[in-house]
Amino acid sequence: MIKKLVTLFMLTALAAVSAKAVLAADTLVEVKKKGVLVAGVKDSLPPFGYIDEKSRQIVGYDIDFINAIAKKLGVKVELKPVTSASRMPQLQEGHIDIIAATMTKNPERTKVIDFSHTYFFTGQKFITKKGAVKSLKDLEGKRIGTAKGSTSEQNVKKAIPSATVLSFDDYPQALLALQQGKVAAVTTDEAILAGILAKAPNKAQFEIPSVQISEEPYGLGMRKGDKNFVDFVNKTILEMEKSGEAARIFSKWFGPTTQFHLNRSFKITADK
Amino acid sequence: MLSYQFDWSIITSGKYHDWLVAGLKTTLQLSAISIVLSFLLGLLIAVMRMGHNRPARWFAHAYLEFFRNTPLLVQLFFWYFGSYKILPTAVNDWLNSVGFEFGAAVIALTIYTSAFIAEDIRSGVLSIPREQMEAARSAGFSYLRSMQYIILPQAVRITVPPLVNQFLNLAKNSSLAMTIGVMELTYQARQVESYTFKGFEAFTAATVVYVLLSLLITFLVNVYNEKVLNIHKGA
Repeated sequence: MIKKLVTLFMLTALAAVSAKAVLAADTLVEVKKKGVLVAGVKDSLPPFGYIDEKSRQIVGYDIDFINAIAKKLGVKVELKPVTSASRMPQLQEGHIDIIAATMTKNPERTKVIDFSHTYFFTGQKFITKKGAVKSLKDLEGKRIGTAKGSTSEQNVKKAIPSATVLSFDDYPQALLALQQGKVAAVTTDEAILAGILAKAPNKAQFEIPSVQISEEPYGLGMRKGDKNFVDFVNKTILEMEKSGEAARIFSKWFGPTTQFHLNRSFKITADK
Repeated sequence: MLSYQFDWSIITSGKYHDWLVAGLKTTLQLSAISIVLSFLLGLLIAVMRMGHNRPARWFAHAYLEFFRNTPLLVQLFFWYFGSYKILPTAVNDWLNSVGFEFGAAVIALTIYTSAFIAEDIRSGVLSIPREQMEAARSAGFSYLRSMQYIILPQAVRITVPPLVNQFLNLAKNSSLAMTIGVMELTYQARQVESYTFKGFEAFTAATVVYVLLSLLITFLVNVYNEKVLNIHKGA
């Protein structure tokens, strides 16, 4: 009985592994051939990627970049919602061609996938009850909420080792936990926090103190070694910077006409 | 081309190994506590469901239908997030200071599984000829005592195979607790994946552990059958 079970299990595992190995080598050619660019995006994270209440479509900063790239390619866009934990496996398994989901570039990830040049720049901060946190010291030994599989989780463990980090499936649940006092703070990149806070029902009770624990450059994620596609995407976003389109997209989602009032403190440049 | 390099060392020693072991410990605690509680609660609900006390019968009936027919994930969120609205502030403050994740998971798993267990026990009781109850009552036992001494000991024996199913389900369902931040085995496997991108290794380890855990539960129940209840295989 046990022998049979073990054999069955190993066969299943083998099938899963061999299925993964069959993948296209050149996404640029593939995407042009099938006429559609499949992008993994967030669908509950304003203003990067969220469902617009009127049109019921996923819109946002990340989506505008994908649209521009697809337009340059002359193909249609298909958006697939991903979570922080699922986006890299989805890319590696070939379910999506590119990740545009508020993804921080870091050395560990660069070992597994390739990133475009930085298309958004932010830093990791906290949402807390008003006046509760003046410095990092105020968070020592506290419970802090974030989303699974994000760099935010790893940064906060490094910055405040004495804190208990509770990882939820996504940020709306982490915020609910904060509102119910189950955690003392929610942490992730400032631009995301601003988006969460803007949508919170009792936002007057909360604030984002000026305590920053890391710098977060966002990149578009593509499969490792997919050089033609990476070069194409990089060329496209550099052109968008030059033509002023990138700056227009930023001010459309974060500028003075929005609820975020962020200043664009970065320019898209070629990484060294 | 994607080439995946297996690196089993991350799960056999070091930090990530410790995470997985800590996750396993939590899974074991969560499963063991919930199995015991859900069995006791299931027994109680089954007795109420079959008794002659009308309000108790109605309560048990409603309980069964409600908790059997709502998804476990929804129940987890209900106990963890929803309970906040009903409980007094003092209780909420206390729960928040000690951490309510594990407790909410135990409550959800216990209540959800107890509904299924109650139905299994009821079907076991129904399979006992009704003359036994009549005989017990005419011998002067009360309803509850007849249940306790005559009917349930027999019914539970018949119910053992479906009960094992419920226990196995519970052990595997405990992985859903990660959605409310309980750091059990699946949670830790995902953590290892997001830190190292070695998802295959971490989830293979977790899968093997779940299989072993299920085999262990089956084994323990079989031993209990043979040694304590004197039921032998095939009998």
